[in-house]
Amino acid sequence: MEYILKNGIVFDPKNNVKGEQMDILIKDNKITDEVSSNAKVLDVTGKLVMPGGVDLHSHIAGPKLSIGRLYRPEDIRRGIKPPSRNDISGFEAGFSLPTCPTIGYRYTKMGYTTVTEAAVPPLEAKHAHEEINSIPNLDIPTLTLFGNNWFMLKYVKENRLDDLKVFISKWLKLAKGYGVKIVNPCGSEAWGWGKNVDGLDDAEPHWEVTGRQVITSLTRVNEELGLPHSVHVHTNDLGHPGNYETTLETFDCVKDIKKNRNVDRNQIIHCTHVQFHSYKGTSWRDVSSGATELIDYINKHNHLTCDVGQITFDETTTMTADAPMEYDLFRLTGLKWANKDIEVETASGLIPAIYSQHAPVSVLQWAVGLEFFMGVKDPWKIALTTDSPNAGPFIRYPKIISWLMSQEKLQDMLDNDVHSWATKRTDLGTYNREYSWDEITVITRSSPAKILGLEDRGHLGLNAKADISVYDIDVDDFDPTLKSNSETIENKLLNSKYTIKDGEILVKDAKIVKLVKSNHIWCNVKGLENSERLLENRIKPEFNKYYTIKYENYGVNDHYIKPDTQVNVEYMGENYESN
Amino acid sequence: MKAINLVMTRKNSIAIEFDNILPELLFDKSLTQIQDSIIYMGNKQLPLSEFFEVEIEGDCQNSEDCLINIEGDLSRVKRIGFAMNSGKIIANSNVDFHVGALMTGGHITVNGDAESYAGREMTGGTLEIKGNVKEFCGSSYAGEWRGMSGGQIIIHGNVGKQLADFMLDGKIHIRGNCDILAGVHMSGGFIQIDGNVTQWIGGQMKKGIIVLNGKIDSMLPGFVFQEIVHNPLINGQYFIGKYRLYSGDRGVNGKGQIWIKE
Repeated sequence: MEYILKNGIVFDPKNNVKGEQMDILIKDNKITDEVSSNAKVLDVTGKLVMPGGVDLHSHIAGPKLSIGRLYRPEDIRRGIKPPSRNDISGFEAGFSLPTCPTIGYRYTKMGYTTVTEAAVPPLEAKHAHEEINSIPNLDIPTLTLFGNNWFMLKYVKENRLDDLKVFISKWLKLAKGYGVKIVNPCGSEAWGWGKNVDGLDDAEPHWEVTGRQVITSLTRVNEELGLPHSVHVHTNDLGHPGNYETTLETFDCVKDIKKNRNVDRNQIIHCTHVQFHSYKGTSWRDVSSGATELIDYINKHNHLTCDVGQITFDETTTMTADAPMEYDLFRLTGLKWANKDIEVETASGLIPAIYSQHAPVSVLQWAVGLEFFMGVKDPWKIALTTDSPNAGPFIRYPKIISWLMSQEKLQDMLDNDVHSWATKRTDLGTYNREYSWDEITVITRSSPAKILGLEDRGHLGLNAKADISVYDIDVDDFDPTLKSNSETIENKLLNSKYTIKDGEILVKDAKIVKLVKSNHIWCNVKGLENSERLLENRIKPEFNKYYTIKYENYGVNDHYIKPDTQVNVEYMGENYESN
Repeated sequence: MKAINLVMTRKNSIAIEFDNILPELLFDKSLTQIQDSIIYMGNKQLPLSEFFEVEIEGDCQNSEDCLINIEGDLSRVKRIGFAMNSGKIIANSNVDFHVGALMTGGHITVNGDAESYAGREMTGGTLEIKGNVKEFCGSSYAGEWRGMSGGQIIIHGNVGKQLADFMLDGKIHIRGNCDILAGVHMSGGFIQIDGNVTQWIGGQMKKGIIVLNGKIDSMLPGFVFQEIVHNPLINGQYFIGKYRLYSGDRGVNGKGQIWIKE
């Protein structure tokens, strides 16, 4: 099918298109520069046109979600919507923990076409991919959890980075994973012994390995393999007052590791939901923002990127492989708490969270997140996330965008709506920045795609994937800086005029008109097959000793991931960029 | 005052759902519009007139002055007065699940028994049931840790298990007996039980008051006897007789009160 998106106001930062009225031509599933006379014309004159949205960190599939849904039926009852007669989407349910189809419907309506599931333990990867099969309309890469895996810890302890490299290569194939995720390195493993680690240099009790060793080793290996995405790190001490120092040390501990020559991205480490890792103080009584120091570091260095994990003032659900942190939250709030052990790979926990604009700590967290948006000068180093659902559900992205685009709106919130800690304990009130549509496009599309190393999306250049979102906003006649327009921004961005994925119209006039199967994106490293076979033979006895399932039943079979996109990586030995 | 009289004309084996039949939704509707109001039977949407004969008496300007009077066998009619916010409903029969659940205002009278989930998570209004009620009356829905937070429930008969689970506020008066686990997880509100209670009353309660005028088999160990009070003034009301005061549940550092008549 061929389409001409006619006369839209196009934002395509990667190709330096900043609000130009132009046509976008689509042929099959690509952006092209020529279509036949049979091409269907979609008149989007004056409307906001962007590449399809890319979310680089969200929790949408896997065991945590399933536990959450079982554990929080009260959340499932929120957001119930009967099937609409006007579109083909089905029943919706859930707010912070929507059902699988609901996740697909809501992201698609928001104009998002790629969403990363940010934490999949290999042992539960089949489950995650099965859930992805129930989510329609998205491209979904999954990040595989390695930061507390016993084999990884053993190789790091024995400094066997060659084995670690082969292990990562093989395990990504087994889990059909896209990248390396590290969550509270060593802390989640320590939780197996009822403990946590304190900072980057506190050794885990069993393997006596530190978070610093894990992060540096996995970063080295990630770069040697040349994986499209960098290591994706949830640093130690999440949610602890005073944790900004650990975050700063984590930023710094990998700065001398060389980046692989072949990768498109700039960073060698991506620090996720950085808001949760940016607090000064010794307790929740004297806590204050540590964002300034971290922002300063990010602005001065190019080896790292971050996403925010913006608080949205909702009752939501926190869920993470950082199980000891969830226990801390349980002790703070007393709300119902679930804990799950993933054998020798990781742990996980889950607890409801209520972020209120009247609660000082919630407001501080909210303000810290916004400080990052305001303070990080280069929008290509930052991405919009809520760590959905941890800081708020993804359907709040449009609301956050309305805050970022209107200083008047933000000031009104600071003056009238939120607790005074936002101004007393953070520097948010000192910033005077309003995001443009171009910058919004960067932080919601172009930057996440580049950080993930997905070169074919996040832009509208020739041969890019035809993933496009069009919003019913007349860009030239609409002032997003006005507070009075905040709700309009939110409504329009929640309900796209068109969402086009792979050249197919999925949403038209805010109604879903087509459902397609989601695409599993995974990374296939080539060139290490022999080493992988040898390692596999060595690992099997240990594996079968420690795991409750047999190695033969462990990997994700091909029939779980249809359709899929293999991102092939040719292993080329040590192939680093020179300093 | 406008009275909307509904008389059931057809027996149903599959439950029908009545959450669209509320004073606030019908007070300004014509007879035809009311007859065409949608009710669910399973996954089928049907007009109200499929099951009920409708008659209107009088008129009103707001939903406060609207009464829905329902006759017939309502034992397979669910969600009567569900999330209702004003007006009055009288059901002259036994009723099915969820009567008055999530109601925020108005008055519901059931001249018969009610199935489970009556008055769950209600925040206002009055629910009066002349007969018995099954489980989870005035409780929270599954998973929710915030139960009934306002309004009043009066039960003339007996109630089943888990009365007022996670209750935060409001009043419940049970004139009959009460099965196990009444007032579990309570953190506010007032419950008066005139009959007997099986056991496990007030488990994990943090605040709130339970007055028991009947007997109880045994108290949970988390409750500590405080004193005996003659004619105590509890929640603004004098109770005549000798009452033993317990506080707890100490298992959760609770400061709830259970008064038991000697």
